[in-house]
Amino acid sequence: MQRRALLRSMVMGGAGTLLHVTSPSLAKALAGGAGSMMGINNLQLSGVQREMCRQLSELIIPTTDTPGAIAAGVPDFIEMMVSDWYTATEREIFLQGLSALEEDCFARHSKSFLDIVEEKKIAALSRQEDLAASYVKEDEGFFLMPKEDEKAPFFDKLKELVVVGYYQSEVGATQELSYNPMPMEYRDIPVTLETRQWSS
Amino acid sequence: MIEQTDFDAIVVGSGMSGGWAAKELCEAGLKVLVLERGSMVRHGQDYITEHTPPWKIPLGGKKPRELYERDYPVQSQVFSFNETTRHFFNNDRLNPYSYDEKKPFEWRRADVVGGRSLLWSRQVYRFSDLDFEANKRDGHGIDWPIRYKDIAPWYSYVESFIGVSGEKLGLAHLPDGEFQKPMPLNVVERAVKYSIERDYPERNLTIGRCAVQTEAKNGRGSCHYCGPCDRGCSVAAVFSSVGVTLPAAERTGNMTLRSDSVVEGIDYDQETGKASAVRVIDANSQERKRYTGKLIFLCASTVASTQILLNSKSPSFPNGLANRSGVLGHYLMDHATGGGAVGMMPGHLDSYTVGNRPTGVYIPRFRNLQKKGGRESGVDFLRGYGYQGKALRLGWQGTFKQTKGFGKDLKNALRRPGPWLMFMGAFVEQLPKKQNRMFLDDSKKDRFGIPQVAFDASFGDNEARMQTDAEQQARKMLKAAGAVSLKSFDIKTSPGMAIHEMGTARMGNDPAESVLNKWNQAHDVPNLFITDGACMTSSSCVNPSLTYMALTARAVDHAVKLFKSGVI
Repeated sequence: MQRRALLRSMVMGGAGTLLHVTSPSLAKALAGGAGSMMGINNLQLSGVQREMCRQLSELIIPTTDTPGAIAAGVPDFIEMMVSDWYTATEREIFLQGLSALEEDCFARHSKSFLDIVEEKKIAALSRQEDLAASYVKEDEGFFLMPKEDEKAPFFDKLKELVVVGYYQSEVGATQELSYNPMPMEYRDIPVTLETRQWSS
Repeated sequence: MIEQTDFDAIVVGSGMSGGWAAKELCEAGLKVLVLERGSMVRHGQDYITEHTPPWKIPLGGKKPRELYERDYPVQSQVFSFNETTRHFFNNDRLNPYSYDEKKPFEWRRADVVGGRSLLWSRQVYRFSDLDFEANKRDGHGIDWPIRYKDIAPWYSYVESFIGVSGEKLGLAHLPDGEFQKPMPLNVVERAVKYSIERDYPERNLTIGRCAVQTEAKNGRGSCHYCGPCDRGCSVAAVFSSVGVTLPAAERTGNMTLRSDSVVEGIDYDQETGKASAVRVIDANSQERKRYTGKLIFLCASTVASTQILLNSKSPSFPNGLANRSGVLGHYLMDHATGGGAVGMMPGHLDSYTVGNRPTGVYIPRFRNLQKKGGRESGVDFLRGYGYQGKALRLGWQGTFKQTKGFGKDLKNALRRPGPWLMFMGAFVEQLPKKQNRMFLDDSKKDRFGIPQVAFDASFGDNEARMQTDAEQQARKMLKAAGAVSLKSFDIKTSPGMAIHEMGTARMGNDPAESVLNKWNQAHDVPNLFITDGACMTSSSCVNPSLTYMALTARAVDHAVKLFKSGVI
């Protein structure tokens, strides 16, 4: 089949909805799974926390010649993951991290993180990174099959959510990275100044 | 409409071997019922996650942990298990089995039409006489009742139909097949190949022989290198029974495919001395049915086929159907996959790759290749191992944690392809041992009232010594090829993890110590054939699916001759 026909078949139904499933038991199995993309089930963030996450995400992956974390929808991803995916331990570490960041800003600047200039926000986030640097993972496990690190510190958690949320997003995958779902070949290619990672 | 309940042949299982049994029996003109315990998957239309873009994958690709721990503790460890393939897998909570805590067994299963042929790593290698003579040579297990010449034409027949890409090497111990053009090695793999073949003239590195077409043939497309074959391939470039053999069977008009049909047991007719019927429980309604057939092919997978036989007790067969020898359930084997090495490969930063190649590299067995005696000098184990691996440039997933900082610098760093990494992992042959077994635990029933499977199996000293050698050799080869930050490993794994479980109803010449004859026909029940992994007499170190398919086609050819001549 030609690339164009393949792309068309993708648009027509390859990417699939439950309506296309002909097997009732298969449809049931699918519907029973992680449906978190449909909406957040268990909202956990206050208004201030939500705004902090929004700004923090953009500090980690900023707008440059391509859109940044906010344009990619990362804040919603963070909120969904913190609310619905995190374990209680992870959520506690994450929310305490936001509080610690806020306390640090009040202690140094007598202002909320939200009310200081960007330079100071970057410095505040860098201090969180420094705090995280001394953390040692408890159970390394087998290095080829790493487990989720439940006790990882706030900065590591935040960075992971932003990075995963960004590069898995449509903006990250298609504008920041190169998306080529139908390469039609495998071969070596030269790296140029324009070369980006494949997201596909 | 009254449902048809009498058939010329009944095939239990619709995966790698069941699909072949169905195709061959149907094409021979027999009316065939195919029974599958899992739910229906139709080619193309049920590949609901094919080409799902990254942003449509739930949770950014993170695992829904609670769900996996509750329902998929075993299956979620499979390399091809994720939210885009979960609907093809077995639910562990609903389908329990047991083992001694100190000897875990990983029973990795699909639960759909097509079985694991949808989810496999697509690697296809021929056994050779080094494998078929191995038991006889070193005295472990019993001799195979066949040799390479018996199966060679069937390998060719199967390869031509399924579409195999690969490179001919001219090695006696890894025979060449009917290959479509090989997929390319990348620049780092070529460098490692050069280094290994320079240092060790008797070793080879080649592209993994895989059941993915590189040429549009057989009414199917060629690979478009999108990557995740296990979501389903609507152009059927990759082989699966759903995409290839079952449609061929369907085209004859002779196949009735019944999904959601759990086989409880097989009835034996004492007067005729044959298997007469298959008892089925509907997975949804729990309704019981009985189908009669003149030929019965068990292709339900190594463990499931033997479970069915062990659960088919009668006055003639108090220990399970076709089990007069008492070896049914014993001599369970897998491959040990806990040895290998991974390292970063400096340089080559001016090269990247386009496309997702659905295979890796293969380093064929190089230990104990001589014909006489079991082991070569300086080697402290019998048999051998091969490696599978690949080189790739790391993506953001593999580098972001090590990339310090945040902001523009982080973003610019993650934008570019990461450094090259080369991985190689060994597949170690397991010796056949009687104490490695599966059996039925009559005290524990599943949701259909069928006794649960229990395992008592572990890898032994020979596998452990061989794996240690595999680690050391992998380390040496990668180091010589220039790897840095080299990590080698030799970890204890559990049987089942390679998903190459086989044995339990082995072939052999002597009915007193084997279940099947050289035609995969039960010694004790002439119209019963078992052609999945259960039939295996030894495990070789190569991926076994191709051998199951070739043995199936060969067994059907024989069975049809007996059927048409009225012998069975």
